[in-house]
Amino acid sequence: MQTRFSWFNVTSIVLGFAFLYIPILLLIIYSFNESRLVTVWGGWSTKWYGSLLNNEQLLTAGWVTLRVAFISATFATILGTLAAIVLTRLGAFRGRTLFSGLVFAPLVMPEVITGLSLLLLFVAIGMDRGFWTITIAHITFSMCFAAVVVQSRLLDFDKSVEEAAMDLGATPVNSFFQVTLPIIAPAVISAWLLAFTLSLDDLVIASFTTGPGATTLPMKIYSQVRLGVTPEINAVSTIMIAFVTLGVLAASYVTKRSTMKAAADAQKAQ
Amino acid sequence: MSELASFPAAATNAAPPRSGPRSFAPQSGFSPWNDPSQAPIVRFDNVTKQFGDFVAVKSCTLDIYEREFFALLGPSGCGKSTLLRMLAGFEQPTDGRIMVQGQDITALPPYERSDVNMMFQSYALFPHMTVERNIGFGLRQEGMPKGEIAARVEEAMAMVELKPFANRKPNQLSGGQQQRVALARAIAKKPRIMLLDEPLGALDKKLRQQAQFELMRIQESTGTTFIIVTHDQEEAMTVASRIAVMDKGNIIQVATPNDIYETPKSRYVAGFIGDVNVLEGKVSGIADGIIDIEGAVSGCHYKTRSNEPVSIGQQVWLAIRPEKVRITHDKPQSATNVVSGKVDDVGYLGSISHYHVKIGNGQRVTALRANTAMTVGPPISWEDDVWMDWPTEAGIILTS
Repeated sequence: MQTRFSWFNVTSIVLGFAFLYIPILLLIIYSFNESRLVTVWGGWSTKWYGSLLNNEQLLTAGWVTLRVAFISATFATILGTLAAIVLTRLGAFRGRTLFSGLVFAPLVMPEVITGLSLLLLFVAIGMDRGFWTITIAHITFSMCFAAVVVQSRLLDFDKSVEEAAMDLGATPVNSFFQVTLPIIAPAVISAWLLAFTLSLDDLVIASFTTGPGATTLPMKIYSQVRLGVTPEINAVSTIMIAFVTLGVLAASYVTKRSTMKAAADAQKAQ
Repeated sequence: MSELASFPAAATNAAPPRSGPRSFAPQSGFSPWNDPSQAPIVRFDNVTKQFGDFVAVKSCTLDIYEREFFALLGPSGCGKSTLLRMLAGFEQPTDGRIMVQGQDITALPPYERSDVNMMFQSYALFPHMTVERNIGFGLRQEGMPKGEIAARVEEAMAMVELKPFANRKPNQLSGGQQQRVALARAIAKKPRIMLLDEPLGALDKKLRQQAQFELMRIQESTGTTFIIVTHDQEEAMTVASRIAVMDKGNIIQVATPNDIYETPKSRYVAGFIGDVNVLEGKVSGIADGIIDIEGAVSGCHYKTRSNEPVSIGQQVWLAIRPEKVRITHDKPQSATNVVSGKVDDVGYLGSISHYHVKIGNGQRVTALRANTAMTVGPPISWEDDVWMDWPTEAGIILTS
């Protein structure tokens, strides 16, 4: 269907996208600024990306962030998938409502509260704060997102496929790894990418649960910005935007490809 | 490709049918259920299944014998699928035992019931595996050597003519082809008992009829015991050696298709299988195996040959199949089993015609007549006054 071109449509799209993306666009453009002053344009240059490579502190923070994101995304996906399976497969067990409430509460919990409560816990059990406390905190808050993504896939999954696997002699564990997991794999990958992205740009929870020697990139950027924005910060932010964008695009590509492939296959069968 | 062309008309590359029992022909003498020396392969012993307050199956006891093609027939929600799922191991009976070859398997999980395999209504194919991998799945679980798996998969694919599709994924197949993959996947395990849950429900009518004969051919050539769940009475009549008619969790009657049709035990069974006229009345005399009935319609007397234990004055129902009712313009000679009425509706189906006649109390009685050239007299039409009669052997006395 061809929608008629109207000035109203065009204006609303332009305004909407401008509102969303002008700040980010500005940041990206200024990361290529020749000038030392952030607000004064001095011509194109990639020199801040070069000087970034010599900035030991930013690089260390970036490395910490990537490791935290990788480990927390992996564990959050495993735990989230397990939670989703329990919620969709176990039927109406005792305390199911409570359990699903508890799994999904962090979705709406203010990050400050999550961060503070985790900090109190780590202090109470006497755990030294640092890399691992940040990782555990990130697992806690991104697990529910992973659970939501995997659960939506499991809900429209024909349960008799698992029954068929067991009928043909597969134990529940074999049936999970040979049948269920391959079928829900796209959702599991999306869940991992989502958890990875969430961990990558978290500032609040990381600030609460961090300790000496474990500074993530968002924390580093935030503390530097308070002393004044440097063009290096713009450069590192641009790299982060690229990372996050790639993650989100990959996640949606994985889901979209599997649905498109199914549709194409169904066409071929005719 | 065409569905019909791909469907094997005859057993070309499967083993030739054994000369043994032809399970779908009740008159051939295959009747282990009448032989007290035969032990059943499956026995449901007082099996009850409750879901919360809802009783899906009420203390059912049922024996099924080797090489039978057994049908569980009933409307949706009658408990037939639950009975099948309990045999497969997906549901645990609330009470009672399930025996296979004399062994109590009630507590075994589905993956330890190697004698039983199931074909699902939704086919439940593994979408990420090719046809070949789907069919070999069960064999790989057993840890069978690769070469042997390949041979068994080949054999199963040949049986249902799926070889050209070996490397396709399920969503690249038509409904009929998917149905055959589901069948081949279960049969590849060579189970002694094959369970089929509405296996042909998703197929259109023409394809379904072909698939029914296909199932019968495979059942015969493999010598497997088949248990099918269906709500389609024609399907049950076509394929089954015996049928269990179920209603609200109870098994109402278990008999051959012929016996179910000719001697139903209750009005429910009579009405569920085919068309039937049911006339109400009271027993007025019993002599020499002939029961006299005083009809609820005034002036109607029926005589019927029956061994049904009834007493004088008892309320009974007389069931008569429409094809056994003769319809004429002139009053028949005999004085019994005659009712008169006005033609309410005529259904012309080509080979046969249905005549719906309104009798005394406003009840409709249906007569069926084949449209052969031999039919004499003027044609029967709407609003005609007609007479209907039937022989004493045609009526069946029902007490419930």
